[in-house]
Amino acid sequence: MDLMAERHWDSILLYGHGWRKDYFRSLVNVNYSGPYAAALLSRSGDVAIFVSDPWDRELIPGAADFTATLPRASAIAGLELMEARFVHGSPASATADVEELRRIKTLDEIECLKQAAALADRGYQYFADTACVGMREYELVAEVEGFLKSNGAEDNFMLIASGGTEVVGMKPPTARAFQPGDSITTELTPCVNGYYAQICRTLVLGDPSPGQIESFSIFSEAQQAAQDLIKPGIRASDAARAQNDVFRKYGYGDYTGSKYTRVRGHCLGLFPDETPHILEDVDYVIKENMVLIAHPNTYLPLSGYMVFGDSLLVTATGNVRLNTTEKKLFVKEA
Amino acid sequence: MKRGLIEWDRTQLPPAVLDSRLARVRAALAAQNLPALLVYTDVWRSNQARFLTNFMPYWNRSLVVIPVDSPPVLLCALSPRVYPWIKSVTILENIRPASKLMQTLDQLCAERQWRRLGVLDLPMLPIEIHSRLGEIEIVDVPSETICEPDDGEFSMRRRAVSRARQILEEQLPRGAGSLDHHFVGHLEREFRRAGAEDLVIRLSSAGGSPAPAKGARLLDRYSVAIALEYCGHWVKVTRPSADAEALRSRFDAALAAGLSSDGGHIENLAGPYPYEAGTGSIFALHVEHQGLYFGDTCTGTGAL
Repeated sequence: MDLMAERHWDSILLYGHGWRKDYFRSLVNVNYSGPYAAALLSRSGDVAIFVSDPWDRELIPGAADFTATLPRASAIAGLELMEARFVHGSPASATADVEELRRIKTLDEIECLKQAAALADRGYQYFADTACVGMREYELVAEVEGFLKSNGAEDNFMLIASGGTEVVGMKPPTARAFQPGDSITTELTPCVNGYYAQICRTLVLGDPSPGQIESFSIFSEAQQAAQDLIKPGIRASDAARAQNDVFRKYGYGDYTGSKYTRVRGHCLGLFPDETPHILEDVDYVIKENMVLIAHPNTYLPLSGYMVFGDSLLVTATGNVRLNTTEKKLFVKEA
Repeated sequence: MKRGLIEWDRTQLPPAVLDSRLARVRAALAAQNLPALLVYTDVWRSNQARFLTNFMPYWNRSLVVIPVDSPPVLLCALSPRVYPWIKSVTILENIRPASKLMQTLDQLCAERQWRRLGVLDLPMLPIEIHSRLGEIEIVDVPSETICEPDDGEFSMRRRAVSRARQILEEQLPRGAGSLDHHFVGHLEREFRRAGAEDLVIRLSSAGGSPAPAKGARLLDRYSVAIALEYCGHWVKVTRPSADAEALRSRFDAALAAGLSSDGGHIENLAGPYPYEAGTGSIFALHVEHQGLYFGDTCTGTGAL
């Protein structure tokens, strides 16, 4: 409401579609399943809801049909994603403003993120317990997905990779069967009540090679460097540089760029990959009660692609780790 | 989100099927003197790009550009490190990194000296992209002329729906008395082990439309609605734990009556989205009776 007054907006529409539900769910936290949803907040504080799926309309009493009745609004959060046919007039974009509001989590939101992080920990333990030589990547993903959903996750973002130094990144699972000596990398991102927390770990099937051990020590030092640094007032670029400097120190600075990696972390919340991203060229000041992950995930010739990271809650003086999974290179007998 | 098995089994979907679809695109482009067609795709809205190239982004969004006289080009925000994988599951060989989609599109248009561009379902383009197309003349190319399901499409959807029916009917007896989360987890495991790429599960127990699991215990009488994506092909199947035959009769009657029966809930499965309200050449019909639901994936001639 303060934002609307400050910007002189009479109304703001929070738009969501099948991929990006986050703008809508920041006001109306309902897991709709149709292609579109929107919530209109007026200066009076009234909220009107519009969904496209008839079954969603039963989930949200009073919700109207999206396509038949979507109203005009002074500003739209998620405007850039909205189909052109739904945009009437010249509404302002409220996307950046709403994203900034969302970055600072309330106590209720932090509780959801803690639950999601705890589920990520249990999910990773299940992942490590279940992976074995001969199992296919997609079979492991099926097992983990089943575990997370059984334990209340409404969604999960997950990537995986397996193999050796030929592996340069993660992707959806393939039918590849795990072999002795494989690194199996994953990022698990379960969603609880709309909020995503993430964990990144690497598991080796069999005795780890000297390269895998050396590689993990670099990743561990890099992640710890970011974790030691992150507190209110530092910049996203500082958190990225702290991680990348560790790689540079060991002669692997070339592997901190976009050819081999994407980001050194990102914020978490109603979307699993919220901005700001942790990159050396992102000039954003981190604030108390933000939740983010620092993960120096990248390719190294020592080991192939490796991942390691934890979700962190920024406190008044530093941060606390929301994951409790041991910070180690997981090893399982092949 | 897509996190199951994404693969291209060329025995199920031969490259010739995709060749014929591209030929259809090029005929439409030639008829309008257009040099290329732009197709938007993202995680949830992947049906059209998949239909034309078998590309299904597991994350982010992309643009597929189909020139009238050369192979398709993918403008892709995913890392170049996954291009080999993309090439292994699609017909795409020319992939350009495009963290800034429109900038990369502008470069492509300049290189190819395109002054006009066809856009598949132009009014449905995200406004961020739509508003940046001002430099060149754009022409709406409705998907009805491009993406009409062919034999290959029906064949793949038949595979998908057959899988969905079989797994659901096998697993349905296990739900009664269990927590809905546990049953959803069980179904996720079964479907994804069987190759599901994506899955949306809704449950109805003690009345009310099928909805996401909420930690409640399922009663003896409940229904499960599954939306399954298998090799990029979405289908929906809904089954009740009881009174299946009575509901099936009601479903058949609604279908025979031209979908005008009371209680029929119809979703288009042939559009850009996995499912949306409305009819289409492939659609899902669901009927309700005494708090139970039955539904299936259909064409104009009956259930697939």
